[in-house]
Amino acid sequence: MTTPAPQSRPPFYRDVRILSWAFQLLVFGLIAAVVYWLFGNFQRNTADSGIPTNFDFLANPASFAIPGADFDSNESVRNAYVVGILNTIRVAVVGIILATILGILIGIGRLSKNWVVRKITTVYVEVLRNLPLLVIMTFTFLGVVLQVLPRIENSWVPLGLLVVSNRGIGVPWYQDASGLSLLLVLFVGFLGWWLIARWRHSVSDRTGEASRASLYGGGFFIAVLVIGWLLLGASYTLPVVDGKQIAGGIRIDPSYFAVLIALVIYTASHIAEIVRGSIQAVPLGQGEAATALALSGFQRMWNVVLPQAMRIAIPPLGNQYLNLIKNSSLGAGFAYFELTNVTQVTVGNGSPAVPAFTLALVFYIVLSLIASSFVNLANRRFKLVER
Amino acid sequence: MKLRKLLVVLTALTLVLAACTSDDGDTTTTAAAADAADAGGEEMTSLLDEVIARGELKCGTRDALTGFAVLTEEGDHVGFDSDFCRVIAAAVLGDAEAVDHVDLETADRFTALQSGQVDVLSRNTTWTASRDGSEGATFLTVTYYDGQGMMVTADSGYAGIADMDGVIVCVAKGTTTEGNAAAEADRLGLDWEVRPFDDNDLIQEAFGAGQCDGWSADSSALTGIRADQPDGPDSVVILPDVFSKEPLAPLVLDGDTAWAQAVNWAILATITAEEWGITSANVDTFLDSDDSNIRKFLGASFEDSDGNETTLDAGLGLPTDFAYQVIKQVGNYGEIFDRHLAPLGLERGVNALWTDGGLLYSPPYR
Repeated sequence: MTTPAPQSRPPFYRDVRILSWAFQLLVFGLIAAVVYWLFGNFQRNTADSGIPTNFDFLANPASFAIPGADFDSNESVRNAYVVGILNTIRVAVVGIILATILGILIGIGRLSKNWVVRKITTVYVEVLRNLPLLVIMTFTFLGVVLQVLPRIENSWVPLGLLVVSNRGIGVPWYQDASGLSLLLVLFVGFLGWWLIARWRHSVSDRTGEASRASLYGGGFFIAVLVIGWLLLGASYTLPVVDGKQIAGGIRIDPSYFAVLIALVIYTASHIAEIVRGSIQAVPLGQGEAATALALSGFQRMWNVVLPQAMRIAIPPLGNQYLNLIKNSSLGAGFAYFELTNVTQVTVGNGSPAVPAFTLALVFYIVLSLIASSFVNLANRRFKLVER
Repeated sequence: MKLRKLLVVLTALTLVLAACTSDDGDTTTTAAAADAADAGGEEMTSLLDEVIARGELKCGTRDALTGFAVLTEEGDHVGFDSDFCRVIAAAVLGDAEAVDHVDLETADRFTALQSGQVDVLSRNTTWTASRDGSEGATFLTVTYYDGQGMMVTADSGYAGIADMDGVIVCVAKGTTTEGNAAAEADRLGLDWEVRPFDDNDLIQEAFGAGQCDGWSADSSALTGIRADQPDGPDSVVILPDVFSKEPLAPLVLDGDTAWAQAVNWAILATITAEEWGITSANVDTFLDSDDSNIRKFLGASFEDSDGNETTLDAGLGLPTDFAYQVIKQVGNYGEIFDRHLAPLGLERGVNALWTDGGLLYSPPYR
């Protein structure tokens, strides 16, 4: 009989720990080598052709003007970027709000008992979800803004309040009020709304009477807007057609309008599907219990089903919001001066391409990270507390 | 058995090490390759010899710019720039049709020249310092002095850009057009909203729908655009103001003087011919002209100081009768202009001969 081999470590080339380390080292080494090689190529080629790779160009005069913004061609490239980022945020924030509202309505409509509503929303979702966004945007710009909206000479002036033309839509606005004071009024209004809603909910929880939070809160919000307007001088300007331009009021840029509409109707089709799926994921018993309590159809949806559905919907909604932010770059093709367009135009006017686009890249990443941290915050706030 | 496995591991380790150090190796090989290419460049024979040996000129052009170069349904290239390709072929090869017209995208044109895909670019390219310096190109005699202009609708009533205050001007993106327009508005104290679009089709839509009051681009390009307007060329007007310098010139690769000179004198011959009033129709009557300078130019024989019949060879590497071939087969500058640009409504303007107050001036051929 032979004695069994003594327990010993295997040789290193059969030791799974060493082998896996060696393999990871190999992969890391290969990636590092490729990156190093590409970066070296980039540096050598840019140095050979005398292309600058630093960010000094930010201080140069932009030498182009931005329509719809208080920005003239003598200001620096840096300021042009600021305008571009603000425009991206402007279209993204408004787009996210509108797309969410429209998406929820259509998502609910998909489950409606009404045959017509169900079919119309189904067609909406199936058509828009299956079209490339660029095609939709080209259509909203060429078809809607340029062809449906009238020329400035024949603009529609409903009730003397609005000026609607294919050079923009003029709406009444505060006169002489700085943006900061407007923001302050809005902030006070929303804060009051939130506090009143909390108070009404606690009253409702204690006494069982209807909370009517939206009624009281919304009323307070409107009251704050009116009082704020009176405090700020009670002045307003109405938009009027002045020659070839819209004077007075505030002008919604036609390209902004086209880009916003396209982003909203496209993203809403995806949000609608998320909302529909989330509603269907809420156990049927919840809705049946609400019906058994004699809640109306609206109460059942608004108070019982939707709150639970939105909890499921938040993470995929966040993805759609990120998509919307990134898709806003398509506005560059339609004269909307968001971040990508500013980058392209400044490169066309002499800024070095690689640093300019690197900057745009970093801004998009930062914007996306901020947006997704908001979504994570909401997710943490609303998810089921598991014990 | 054991030994083989050891070998495998060793090979893997060697690979890792090789990967880590490969960048240095690459640097040296690239540098060596670059040196080799440089050395090759010095020994390279001139493109002139190459083109003559090949019997065909590869000329970089485009396929759809009305007046300058259009590819017809029959497969011919017709236009001002295309004719200058023919001028070069007639001078170098004696046959204006020995041209391979290579259609190039705007973004690819310099690369095509640098990589040797074409011998010469005749593709309405603006001569600027940075292109001269960093694209490795040599610009030759300017064939067309262009400038940025403005097109408006005929019923707008604008007589000049100074009338245009508080208007929207649409331009194509990716060029210096929007910068030029903004600078001009500043200079004149006008309030312009300059909207840049990705391509001319979008501008056409916006302009047609009345979103833009003006369409700004190179005057010559505007002339082509005007001819293609859906409501006919008379529905729009190109204002007389020109507010930038856009000299369009053919270009060849840096560092090949013989080829650059040959191409340059082929183009200059069209200007010289117009100065003397020599056209494709009457060139034969000039062969026995009393003016010996004209006979030298056309490669006809003349009497030298010793009384011998001879012809002038300027040493350009071109046939002595190259100018005759150019004029006979293609025509002088005025003929080329009248054939392609005058029908679009373009005036000679600064592109007239210096004797008529224009900028066209050829050094003497002698």
